[in-house]
Amino acid sequence: MADKDYSSTSDEELVAMARQGDMVAFEELVARHRDKIFARAFTMMRNEEEAIDLSQEAWIKGWQRLEQFHGDSSFTTWMTRIVINLCLDQLRRRKKRQTESIEEMNEESGGVERQMPVVTVNPTERLERADLRARIDRALNQLSDVHRTVLVLHEFEEMEYKNIARTMNCSIGTVMSRLFYARRKMASLLADLNKQE
Amino acid sequence: MNDETQLKLQAYLDGELPSAERNEVEALLAQDADAKALFAELGNTTKALAGFEAGIKLPESREFYWSKIQREIGRQPAQTQRPAPLFAERLRRLLVPASVCAAAVIAVAIILPQLRQQGVVLTDSDDAGIFTYHNYEAGATLVWLDYPAENNFADIEVDDIFDL
Repeated sequence: MADKDYSSTSDEELVAMARQGDMVAFEELVARHRDKIFARAFTMMRNEEEAIDLSQEAWIKGWQRLEQFHGDSSFTTWMTRIVINLCLDQLRRRKKRQTESIEEMNEESGGVERQMPVVTVNPTERLERADLRARIDRALNQLSDVHRTVLVLHEFEEMEYKNIARTMNCSIGTVMSRLFYARRKMASLLADLNKQE
Repeated sequence: MNDETQLKLQAYLDGELPSAERNEVEALLAQDADAKALFAELGNTTKALAGFEAGIKLPESREFYWSKIQREIGRQPAQTQRPAPLFAERLRRLLVPASVCAAAVIAVAIILPQLRQQGVVLTDSDDAGIFTYHNYEAGATLVWLDYPAENNFADIEVDDIFDL
Protein backbone atom coordinates (compact mmCIF):
# COMPACT_ATOMS: atom_id res chain seq x y z
CA MET A 1 0.00 0.00 0.00
CA ALA A 2 3.01 2.27 0.44
CA ASP A 3 3.28 2.81 -3.32
CA LYS A 4 -0.37 3.64 -3.71
CA ASP A 5 -1.05 6.90 -5.53
CA TYR A 6 -3.87 8.26 -3.41
CA SER A 7 -4.40 11.37 -5.51
CA SER A 8 -5.55 9.32 -8.50
CA THR A 9 -7.72 6.96 -6.46
CA SER A 10 -11.51 7.35 -6.64
CA ASP A 11 -13.57 8.43 -3.65
CA GLU A 12 -15.19 5.00 -3.47
CA GLU A 13 -11.83 3.26 -3.26
CA LEU A 14 -10.55 5.75 -0.70
CA VAL A 15 -13.64 5.18 1.44
CA ALA A 16 -13.12 1.42 1.26
CA MET A 17 -9.48 1.85 2.27
CA ALA A 18 -10.37 4.25 5.08
CA ARG A 19 -12.85 1.70 6.39
CA GLN A 20 -9.94 -0.69 6.78
CA GLY A 21 -8.26 1.92 8.97
CA ASP A 22 -6.16 3.65 6.30
CA MET A 23 -5.80 7.19 7.65
CA VAL A 24 -3.85 8.37 4.61
CA ALA A 25 -6.82 7.47 2.42
CA PHE A 26 -9.10 9.42 4.72
CA GLU A 27 -6.74 12.39 4.68
CA GLU A 28 -6.95 12.39 0.89
CA LEU A 29 -10.76 12.52 1.12
CA VAL A 30 -10.50 15.44 3.54
CA ALA A 31 -8.09 17.26 1.24
CA ARG A 32 -10.37 16.74 -1.75
CA HIS A 33 -13.61 17.91 -0.18
CA ARG A 34 -12.60 20.19 2.68
CA ASP A 35 -13.55 23.39 0.80
CA LYS A 36 -17.05 22.14 0.06
CA ILE A 37 -17.69 20.98 3.62
CA PHE A 38 -16.29 24.19 5.06
CA ALA A 39 -18.30 26.28 2.57
CA ARG A 40 -21.56 24.65 3.65
CA ALA A 41 -20.76 25.25 7.32
CA PHE A 42 -19.75 28.84 6.62
CA THR A 43 -22.87 29.60 4.58
CA MET A 44 -25.02 28.35 7.43
CA MET A 45 -23.11 29.76 10.39
CA ARG A 46 -21.66 33.00 8.92
CA ASN A 47 -18.69 32.69 11.23
CA GLU A 48 -15.35 31.49 9.91
CA GLU A 49 -13.98 30.04 13.13
CA GLU A 50 -17.20 28.23 13.97
CA ALA A 51 -17.38 26.89 10.42
CA ILE A 52 -13.82 25.53 10.63
CA ASP A 53 -14.56 23.81 13.94
CA LEU A 54 -17.85 22.33 12.75
CA SER A 55 -16.39 21.13 9.48
CA GLN A 56 -13.55 19.42 11.35
CA GLU A 57 -16.05 17.86 13.73
CA ALA A 58 -17.96 16.61 10.69
CA TRP A 59 -14.83 14.87 9.36
CA ILE A 60 -14.25 13.24 12.74
CA LYS A 61 -17.85 11.98 12.80
CA GLY A 62 -17.45 10.85 9.20
CA TRP A 63 -14.45 8.73 10.16
CA GLN A 64 -16.29 7.23 13.12
CA ARG A 65 -19.36 6.42 11.03
CA LEU A 66 -17.73 5.15 7.86
CA GLU A 67 -19.34 1.77 8.50
CA GLN A 68 -22.73 3.44 8.11
CA PHE A 69 -21.92 4.82 4.66
CA HIS A 70 -23.39 2.38 2.15
CA GLY A 71 -22.79 4.37 -1.02
CA ASP A 72 -26.48 5.22 -1.58
CA SER A 73 -25.35 8.77 -2.27
CA SER A 74 -21.92 10.18 -3.08
CA PHE A 75 -19.41 10.49 -0.26
CA THR A 76 -19.55 14.30 -0.44
CA THR A 77 -23.35 14.29 -0.20
CA TRP A 78 -23.09 12.07 2.86
CA MET A 79 -20.44 14.31 4.44
CA THR A 80 -22.47 17.42 3.60
CA ARG A 81 -25.45 15.99 5.46
CA ILE A 82 -23.26 15.38 8.50
CA VAL A 83 -21.98 18.95 8.55
CA ILE A 84 -25.51 20.32 8.02
CA ASN A 85 -26.76 18.33 11.02
CA LEU A 86 -23.92 19.64 13.15
CA CYS A 87 -24.69 23.20 12.04
CA LEU A 88 -28.38 22.75 12.82
CA ASP A 89 -27.51 21.47 16.30
CA GLN A 90 -25.24 24.45 16.82
CA LEU A 91 -27.90 26.88 15.60
CA ARG A 92 -30.43 25.34 17.99
CA ARG A 93 -28.00 25.78 20.86
CA ARG A 94 -27.32 29.33 19.71
CA LYS A 95 -31.04 30.06 19.60
CA LYS A 96 -31.48 28.84 23.13
CA ARG A 97 -28.89 31.35 24.23
CA GLN A 98 -30.38 34.23 22.28
CA THR A 99 -33.77 35.81 22.65
CA GLU A 100 -34.71 34.80 19.13
CA SER A 101 -37.48 32.20 19.09
CA ILE A 102 -39.40 30.17 16.54
CA GLU A 103 -42.50 32.18 17.40
CA GLU A 104 -40.73 35.41 16.54
CA MET A 105 -39.59 33.88 13.27
CA ASN A 106 -43.12 32.81 12.44
CA GLU A 107 -44.30 36.33 13.05
CA GLU A 108 -41.54 37.64 10.83
CA SER A 109 -42.58 35.39 7.99
CA GLY A 110 -46.26 36.07 8.54
CA GLY A 111 -46.82 38.78 6.00
CA VAL A 112 -43.97 41.30 5.89
CA GLU A 113 -42.55 39.79 2.72
CA ARG A 114 -45.88 40.07 0.97
CA GLN A 115 -45.79 43.84 1.29
CA MET A 116 -42.32 44.23 -0.20
CA PRO A 117 -42.26 45.79 -3.65
CA VAL A 118 -41.20 43.34 -6.32
CA VAL A 119 -37.56 43.74 -7.36
CA THR A 120 -37.44 44.01 -11.12
CA VAL A 121 -33.66 44.29 -11.50
CA ASN A 122 -31.89 41.00 -12.02
CA PRO A 123 -28.97 41.02 -9.53
CA THR A 124 -26.88 38.78 -11.75
CA GLU A 125 -26.85 41.25 -14.63
CA ARG A 126 -23.84 43.50 -15.26
CA LEU A 127 -21.98 42.11 -12.29
CA GLU A 128 -18.73 40.22 -12.08
CA ARG A 129 -19.09 36.92 -10.27
CA ALA A 130 -16.81 38.11 -7.47
CA ASP A 131 -18.87 41.27 -6.94
CA LEU A 132 -22.09 39.30 -6.88
CA ARG A 133 -20.58 36.84 -4.42
CA ALA A 134 -19.55 39.65 -2.09
CA ARG A 135 -23.05 41.11 -2.23
CA ILE A 136 -24.69 37.76 -1.56
CA ASP A 137 -22.30 37.30 1.32
CA ARG A 138 -23.44 40.55 2.91
CA ALA A 139 -27.09 39.80 2.23
CA LEU A 140 -26.85 36.33 3.81
CA ASN A 141 -25.43 37.95 6.94
CA GLN A 142 -28.63 39.91 7.28
CA LEU A 143 -30.96 36.93 7.15
CA SER A 144 -32.03 35.23 10.35
CA ASP A 145 -30.68 31.75 11.06
CA VAL A 146 -33.92 29.97 10.15
CA HIS A 147 -34.39 31.85 6.89
CA ARG A 148 -30.78 31.36 5.84
CA THR A 149 -31.01 27.66 6.75
CA VAL A 150 -34.12 27.07 4.66
CA LEU A 151 -32.49 28.90 1.75
CA VAL A 152 -29.30 26.83 2.04
CA LEU A 153 -31.18 23.54 2.25
CA HIS A 154 -33.29 24.39 -0.77
CA GLU A 155 -30.93 26.31 -3.04
CA PHE A 156 -27.60 24.62 -2.29
CA GLU A 157 -28.60 21.22 -0.95
CA GLU A 158 -31.52 21.01 -3.41
CA MET A 159 -33.75 19.42 -0.82
CA GLU A 160 -37.49 19.08 -1.42
CA TYR A 161 -39.93 20.91 0.85
CA LYS A 162 -40.89 17.73 2.71
CA ASN A 163 -37.27 16.87 3.47
CA ILE A 164 -36.54 20.40 4.66
CA ALA A 165 -39.61 20.19 6.90
CA ARG A 166 -38.32 16.94 8.37
CA THR A 167 -34.82 18.33 8.84
CA MET A 168 -36.02 21.56 10.45
CA ASN A 169 -38.80 19.85 12.40
CA CYS A 170 -41.58 22.07 11.05
CA SER A 171 -44.50 21.84 8.63
CA ILE A 172 -44.22 22.03 4.84
CA GLY A 173 -46.31 25.21 4.99
CA THR A 174 -43.77 26.80 7.31
CA VAL A 175 -40.95 25.78 4.96
CA MET A 176 -42.74 27.38 2.00
CA SER A 177 -43.43 30.53 3.94
CA ARG A 178 -39.87 30.82 5.24
CA LEU A 179 -38.38 30.13 1.83
CA PHE A 180 -40.64 32.74 0.28
CA TYR A 181 -39.59 35.29 2.88
CA ALA A 182 -35.90 34.42 2.51
CA ARG A 183 -35.97 34.78 -1.27
CA ARG A 184 -37.85 38.06 -1.20
CA LYS A 185 -35.57 39.43 1.50
CA MET A 186 -32.51 38.42 -0.50
CA ALA A 187 -33.90 40.11 -3.61
CA SER A 188 -34.60 43.22 -1.62
CA LEU A 189 -31.16 43.25 0.03
CA LEU A 190 -29.37 42.70 -3.27
CA ALA A 191 -31.39 45.54 -4.82
CA ASP A 192 -30.49 47.83 -1.90
CA LEU A 193 -26.83 46.99 -2.34
CA ASN A 194 -27.20 47.86 -6.02
CA LYS A 195 -28.60 51.27 -5.09
CA GLN A 196 -25.88 51.96 -2.52
CA GLU A 197 -23.07 51.48 -5.02
CA MET B 1 -52.65 38.24 -5.30
CA ASN B 2 -53.31 36.42 -2.03
CA ASP B 3 -50.79 34.52 0.13
CA GLU B 4 -51.82 31.13 -1.19
CA THR B 5 -51.34 32.20 -4.81
CA GLN B 6 -47.90 33.61 -4.03
CA LEU B 7 -46.81 30.35 -2.44
CA LYS B 8 -48.24 28.43 -5.39
CA LEU B 9 -46.11 30.54 -7.72
CA GLN B 10 -43.06 29.60 -5.70
CA ALA B 11 -44.01 25.92 -5.63
CA TYR B 12 -44.43 26.07 -9.42
CA LEU B 13 -40.94 27.57 -9.75
CA ASP B 14 -39.52 24.80 -7.55
CA GLY B 15 -41.33 22.04 -9.41
CA GLU B 16 -43.30 21.15 -6.29
CA LEU B 17 -46.78 22.08 -7.44
CA PRO B 18 -49.15 19.16 -8.07
CA SER B 19 -49.85 18.72 -11.76
CA ALA B 20 -53.53 19.51 -11.27
CA GLU B 21 -52.66 23.06 -10.20
CA ARG B 22 -49.96 23.81 -12.75
CA ASN B 23 -52.38 24.92 -15.48
CA GLU B 24 -53.94 27.37 -13.08
CA VAL B 25 -50.57 28.99 -12.31
CA GLU B 26 -49.53 29.02 -15.97
CA ALA B 27 -52.75 30.85 -16.84
CA LEU B 28 -52.11 33.35 -14.08
CA LEU B 29 -48.56 34.00 -15.29
CA ALA B 30 -49.86 34.58 -18.81
CA GLN B 31 -52.33 37.27 -17.81
CA ASP B 32 -51.18 38.84 -14.53
CA ALA B 33 -48.18 41.21 -14.72
CA ASP B 34 -47.69 41.25 -10.91
CA ALA B 35 -47.56 37.48 -10.79
CA LYS B 36 -45.10 37.46 -13.66
CA ALA B 37 -42.85 40.03 -11.93
CA LEU B 38 -42.90 38.14 -8.64
CA PHE B 39 -42.13 34.90 -10.42
CA ALA B 40 -39.14 36.56 -12.13
CA GLU B 41 -37.89 37.96 -8.81
CA LEU B 42 -38.01 34.56 -7.10
CA GLY B 43 -36.23 32.99 -10.07
CA ASN B 44 -33.54 35.69 -10.15
CA THR B 45 -32.68 35.05 -6.48
CA THR B 46 -32.24 31.38 -7.24
CA LYS B 47 -30.00 32.19 -10.22
CA ALA B 48 -27.95 34.67 -8.19
CA LEU B 49 -27.22 32.03 -5.55
CA ALA B 50 -26.14 29.39 -8.06
CA GLY B 51 -22.46 28.65 -7.69
CA PHE B 52 -22.07 30.95 -4.68
CA GLU B 53 -20.48 28.29 -2.45
CA ALA B 54 -17.98 27.26 -5.10
CA GLY B 55 -16.02 30.43 -4.41
CA ILE B 56 -15.63 29.78 -0.69
CA LYS B 57 -12.22 28.41 0.24
CA LEU B 58 -11.05 27.04 3.56
CA PRO B 59 -8.70 29.66 5.07
CA GLU B 60 -6.29 27.05 6.48
CA SER B 61 -3.56 24.92 4.96
CA ARG B 62 -4.22 21.27 4.29
CA GLU B 63 -1.71 20.17 6.93
CA PHE B 64 -2.93 22.47 9.68
CA TYR B 65 -6.58 21.60 9.06
CA TRP B 66 -5.88 17.86 8.97
CA SER B 67 -3.70 17.89 12.08
CA LYS B 68 -6.62 18.70 14.39
CA ILE B 69 -8.83 16.06 12.76
CA GLN B 70 -6.07 13.47 13.04
CA ARG B 71 -5.44 14.36 16.68
CA GLU B 72 -9.14 14.04 17.56
CA ILE B 73 -9.51 10.76 15.69
CA GLY B 74 -6.55 9.40 17.61
CA ARG B 75 -8.06 10.55 20.87
CA GLN B 76 -11.64 9.40 20.27
CA PRO B 77 -11.60 5.70 21.21
CA ALA B 78 -10.33 6.36 24.70
CA GLN B 79 -12.89 9.12 25.24
CA THR B 80 -16.00 7.70 23.66
CA GLN B 81 -15.86 3.99 24.39
CA ARG B 82 -17.34 3.40 27.77
CA PRO B 83 -16.14 0.09 29.20
CA ALA B 84 -19.05 -2.26 29.79
CA PRO B 85 -19.57 -2.96 33.50
CA LEU B 86 -18.07 -6.24 34.64
CA PHE B 87 -20.45 -9.13 35.29
CA ALA B 88 -19.67 -9.02 39.01
CA GLU B 89 -20.48 -5.32 39.11
CA ARG B 90 -23.79 -5.84 37.32
CA LEU B 91 -24.62 -8.68 39.73
CA ARG B 92 -23.74 -6.46 42.69
CA ARG B 93 -26.05 -3.69 41.45
CA LEU B 94 -28.89 -6.19 41.22
CA LEU B 95 -28.30 -8.16 44.40
CA VAL B 96 -27.65 -5.37 46.90
CA PRO B 97 -31.09 -3.75 46.75
CA ALA B 98 -32.77 -7.17 46.42
CA SER B 99 -31.05 -8.57 49.51
CA VAL B 100 -31.86 -5.45 51.54
CA CYS B 101 -35.53 -5.84 50.67
CA ALA B 102 -35.46 -9.56 51.48
CA ALA B 103 -33.80 -8.92 54.84
CA ALA B 104 -36.41 -6.30 55.68
CA VAL B 105 -39.29 -8.66 54.86
CA ILE B 106 -37.75 -11.47 56.97
CA ALA B 107 -37.14 -9.10 59.88
CA VAL B 108 -40.73 -7.87 59.79
CA ALA B 109 -42.02 -11.44 59.57
CA ILE B 110 -40.05 -12.43 62.68
CA ILE B 111 -40.54 -9.31 64.77
CA LEU B 112 -44.23 -8.63 64.03
CA PRO B 113 -45.70 -11.60 66.01
CA GLN B 114 -43.44 -10.78 68.97
CA LEU B 115 -44.46 -7.13 68.95
CA ARG B 116 -48.16 -8.03 68.72
CA GLN B 117 -47.73 -10.19 71.84
CA GLN B 118 -46.23 -7.17 73.65
CA GLY B 119 -49.21 -4.96 72.69
CA VAL B 120 -47.35 -3.05 70.03
CA VAL B 121 -48.84 -2.48 66.58
CA LEU B 122 -46.78 -2.54 63.43
CA THR B 123 -48.70 -1.75 60.22
CA ASP B 124 -47.66 -1.58 56.62
CA SER B 125 -49.33 1.06 54.46
CA ASP B 126 -50.51 0.90 50.80
CA ASP B 127 -46.99 1.77 49.80
CA ALA B 128 -44.96 -1.45 50.11
CA GLY B 129 -41.86 0.49 51.15
CA ILE B 130 -43.38 2.16 54.24
CA PHE B 131 -43.77 0.50 57.65
CA THR B 132 -45.25 2.23 60.71
CA TYR B 133 -44.49 1.24 64.31
CA HIS B 134 -46.84 2.32 67.14
CA ASN B 135 -46.14 1.83 70.79
CA TYR B 136 -49.24 3.00 72.63
CA GLU B 137 -47.70 2.51 76.05
CA ALA B 138 -44.78 4.76 75.21
CA GLY B 139 -46.95 7.05 73.06
CA ALA B 140 -44.44 6.74 70.18
CA THR B 141 -44.80 6.32 66.40
CA LEU B 142 -41.95 5.38 64.10
CA VAL B 143 -42.23 5.47 60.29
CA TRP B 144 -39.69 3.36 58.33
CA LEU B 145 -39.09 4.13 54.64
CA ASP B 146 -37.49 1.31 52.69
CA TYR B 147 -36.64 2.99 49.38
CA PRO B 148 -33.48 1.92 47.51
CA ALA B 149 -30.64 4.38 47.83
CA GLU B 150 -29.33 3.92 44.29
CA ASN B 151 -30.22 6.54 41.70
CA ASN B 152 -30.53 4.90 38.27
CA PHE B 153 -30.37 8.23 36.44
CA ALA B 154 -26.80 8.63 37.54
CA ASP B 155 -25.84 5.94 35.04
CA ILE B 156 -27.13 7.96 32.05
CA GLU B 157 -24.57 10.08 30.25
CA VAL B 158 -25.19 13.19 28.18
CA ASP B 159 -24.11 11.32 25.03
CA ASP B 160 -26.98 8.89 25.52
CA ILE B 161 -29.50 11.72 25.51
CA PHE B 162 -28.11 13.89 22.72
CA ASP B 163 -26.98 11.24 20.28
CA LEU B 164 -25.55 13.10 17.27
